[in-house]
Amino acid sequence: MRSRFAGTSVLYLFLVILAILQLFPLLWVFDYSLLKSGDLFGPELLKLPLVPQWGNYVRAWVDGKIPRYFMNSVIVVASSVAVSALISFCLAYSITRMKWKLRPVAVATVTMGMVVPIHTTLLPNFLWFNYFGLINTHMALIIPYVAFTLSFNTLVFMGQLRTLPRSMEESAFMDGASWPRIFWSVVAPMTGPAIVTVCLMTFLNNWNEFIMAYTYLSSDELRTLPFSIIKFQGAYRSDYAIQFACMTLVAAVPLVLYFFFSKRILAGVTAGALKG
Amino acid sequence: MKKLIVVMLALCVAGGLWAQSITLKMGDNLSDRTTTWGAVVEQINAEFKKANPGVEIVTESYPDQPYQQKIKIYATAKQLPDVFKYWSFSTLLKPLVDGGFVMELNKADFAKYGFVPGSLESNVWGGKLYGIPVSADMWVIYYNKKLFKDAGITTLPTTIEDLEALAPKFKTQGIIPMVTDGKDAWPLSITYDVLVERVNGDFSRQQAALDRKAKFTDPDFVEGARQYLKFVQSGLFQEDLMVSDYGASRNLFGQGKAAMYLMGSWEMGLAADTNFSDEFRSNVDAFKFPVLKNGKGKVDDLEAWYGGNYVISSASKYKDLDLKYLKYYAERFPGLAWERQATFPAQKVEPRPSDSPVAKKLLKILADAKKTSGTTTIDRSTPQFKEDHQNFTRELSSALITPEEFCRKLEASAEKASKQQ
Amino acid sequence: MKALFGNGRVICALVLPGLAVMVFALVVPIGFSAYYGLTDWAGFGKFHMIGLANYLEILTADPVFWRALLNALILMLVTIFIQNPAAFALAAVLSHLPARFSRLLRTVYFVPAVLSLVVITKLWVNIFNPTYGILNKVLHLIGLKSVMISWLSDPRTALGAVLWIILWQGFGWALLFYYTGLMTVPSEIEEAARVDGAGWLQAHLRVIIPFMFPVISAVIVIDVISSLRQMEMIFLSTEGGPGSLTQFVSVYLYQKAFIAGAYGYGNALSVLFVVVAVGLTLVVQRILRRNDDAQ
Repeated sequence: MRSRFAGTSVLYLFLVILAILQLFPLLWVFDYSLLKSGDLFGPELLKLPLVPQWGNYVRAWVDGKIPRYFMNSVIVVASSVAVSALISFCLAYSITRMKWKLRPVAVATVTMGMVVPIHTTLLPNFLWFNYFGLINTHMALIIPYVAFTLSFNTLVFMGQLRTLPRSMEESAFMDGASWPRIFWSVVAPMTGPAIVTVCLMTFLNNWNEFIMAYTYLSSDELRTLPFSIIKFQGAYRSDYAIQFACMTLVAAVPLVLYFFFSKRILAGVTAGALKG
Repeated sequence: MKKLIVVMLALCVAGGLWAQSITLKMGDNLSDRTTTWGAVVEQINAEFKKANPGVEIVTESYPDQPYQQKIKIYATAKQLPDVFKYWSFSTLLKPLVDGGFVMELNKADFAKYGFVPGSLESNVWGGKLYGIPVSADMWVIYYNKKLFKDAGITTLPTTIEDLEALAPKFKTQGIIPMVTDGKDAWPLSITYDVLVERVNGDFSRQQAALDRKAKFTDPDFVEGARQYLKFVQSGLFQEDLMVSDYGASRNLFGQGKAAMYLMGSWEMGLAADTNFSDEFRSNVDAFKFPVLKNGKGKVDDLEAWYGGNYVISSASKYKDLDLKYLKYYAERFPGLAWERQATFPAQKVEPRPSDSPVAKKLLKILADAKKTSGTTTIDRSTPQFKEDHQNFTRELSSALITPEEFCRKLEASAEKASKQQ
Repeated sequence: MKALFGNGRVICALVLPGLAVMVFALVVPIGFSAYYGLTDWAGFGKFHMIGLANYLEILTADPVFWRALLNALILMLVTIFIQNPAAFALAAVLSHLPARFSRLLRTVYFVPAVLSLVVITKLWVNIFNPTYGILNKVLHLIGLKSVMISWLSDPRTALGAVLWIILWQGFGWALLFYYTGLMTVPSEIEEAARVDGAGWLQAHLRVIIPFMFPVISAVIVIDVISSLRQMEMIFLSTEGGPGSLTQFVSVYLYQKAFIAGAYGYGNALSVLFVVVAVGLTLVVQRILRRNDDAQ
């Protein structure tokens, strides 16, 4: 029995050390964001911020234009999440439930969308969007963000819908319910877990996207959150502590969300994905 | 209903008034708008706006490499800024000229602004002027006098061998001997240029090789590559040379963590950059790129060229205003830039007793020069050749290829480029 | 029920928005790429049709392209054969722990997965920094005083460092996928195996892994796709260097088009890349399906 106990202790110790290693880089950045830039060049791994330099955060907040970029990110990501979830749900529904001739073509397109590397469209889309005057507007991000999450989301919804019986829709139809009604009051509520997965995955993917934002946007008023960090690596910036403060602030948003919803996220994200 | 119409009319009138204010879009590579060159531009803009009521100026700024990418992207999207800072090179300006993106200028318009002989000519393509030069660029080594004194070094190195011998003296003090921007690689390619000249004493060899009258595999180029590899691996440079970008390397020098900074004369403004300590600023100076003990190049053979310029977009709606701005810039820039000791202009300046030591030194280096290189090799051919040259230099710097392989690769790329042109 | 599930107007309303977006942002651009891939366009100005010259050059005379594909392949193999088994083992351990402790650990392990790639990249670039980075400091602390490795630019370590960052971020996902998968394994299966005298490890190897095969193959397909997709991280750290040791195709085509002024060539790279990605994914899926059938 004693050896079993020792074994378990070692295992627990190992797991905790792993967890600490996982969090240590974040702790390091947070620690040095409260110190002076010069402290970074000292020999210590971590240093107690006896006089916390909150000024770093003020400058990161102001010079990094975090409020503005944050709002832009919210606008772009919220619209792409909503649109992507809605369209992919419709697409998945028509593929799994409805009977139509071109269905195989739709399935093939969706599958292809899953596989095509996002960045291959970077060059042509630049010209194409520019043709419609979309370059340097939020639409230039929302459209590809929707397009590139659509396939995955559709597959997730398809997986979920296949497990649901048709009888509910049929009886609602018999009762004379209209299509939109069947959709919203019968089908949508049954797909809850998949909706959570889809929204979260779309959110994470798009919240973190950088290259398209970097290529398609040029006005400062339109930029999204990752740019705050980029701002501090410019030619004349030397203040590592402010860079670190900025990284902490940018990381804080999804982290706070995550810790609030971690139970939901951990259960939801993969459950939906694996069914798909 | 009437009310509505009145409101709408009022809105139209207001809109009409609004439309009278003109916004000039500009672009440059000067991210810091509060000191040195960026501050000079802001001052010129403020004065220009005051003299031209109703004119707004919006400037987009990025560090060099992203800025060049952005300009190419804007050219593709036909959204170039009205007036923008660029470079006069065959790799940068010429493609824009060929595509008809840049407005032709009248040479006579700029005759009175004291441009240094030869500098306007660097902006001429097909006999026509397309931009005005703003800086005279020289490849020098900046150094921190205090760090030299602390390390017990009293004489400046005149040979590369002496220079390399300094490395351990700084390292024992925890000081990086020398920094430069290795990530963007062009400083490395320029350094290779200089080393080839220090071997053969002839600046014209590079052009000859590009014109296919010489080969990049000729002995002097190979020897230059060997010397380059030795130089980069001598322990002079920062450990992360190949990933430290312009800002990072400049900061190491500015914060007193590095004793020398290999860069162009446009960084003269280091001595005036208030981001750095007074102690640093009063200790910045520069010296000539040294020579090889057994080389033919002389210390007064100067790698120097006219790079930075300003151009007007041919698609601009306000060409007259753009031109007015450009003339104003040409008139105000040398004086303001010199007053603030921000950079080394391509126009005549009046030396003053109060000039910073580094400014005085740069003037002397230029005055001492017996011959100059003209545009660097990477900017004399196609964009692809430039990209190749930089990539090969990166590979050589990391010793992924030998000097001989480096030269063979350059030769192949030059051959390809000569067929494209 | 034809009226319900065969209503043409409803089908159109449901399908059109999705397909329209896909066609607009995915299919048409690939068509554009196919066209510009046949030209020598610099991105602006005049250009000529040059036939298949770009493709020929990529396939026969462009070592960087092959290096970039090789790197994607290395990443793929490392993910599948090192990261995945580690994540699976950890998930198996976690699934036997008390619920509260297990959830706490899972929450922590998943943290890197929710962070922005820009944050993560910059974070590790700082950690790997030779002068103030924490990695060299740790090595100094444990006595390796002379170590001064520039992790991201030293040819010996650059690819390893880059792969590490990608694996570090992806680990949480793999763990979570496997954990969720394991939760669906009925406990009777493991118990039955145990009754037959199998140990913990044997039970997993013989019974649980085969049961989990659909989950494993789903994760592998996702790994293949995401290995090919790498871009941001490279773009913000090494830009493919030193040399082209850490190059990935997406970064390379961006550099070709927007830095080297070879927009046509970049588009040809895009097209080839789509072909490779689609082909490879199909092959992997087929292999996995065959295995699945064999079970």
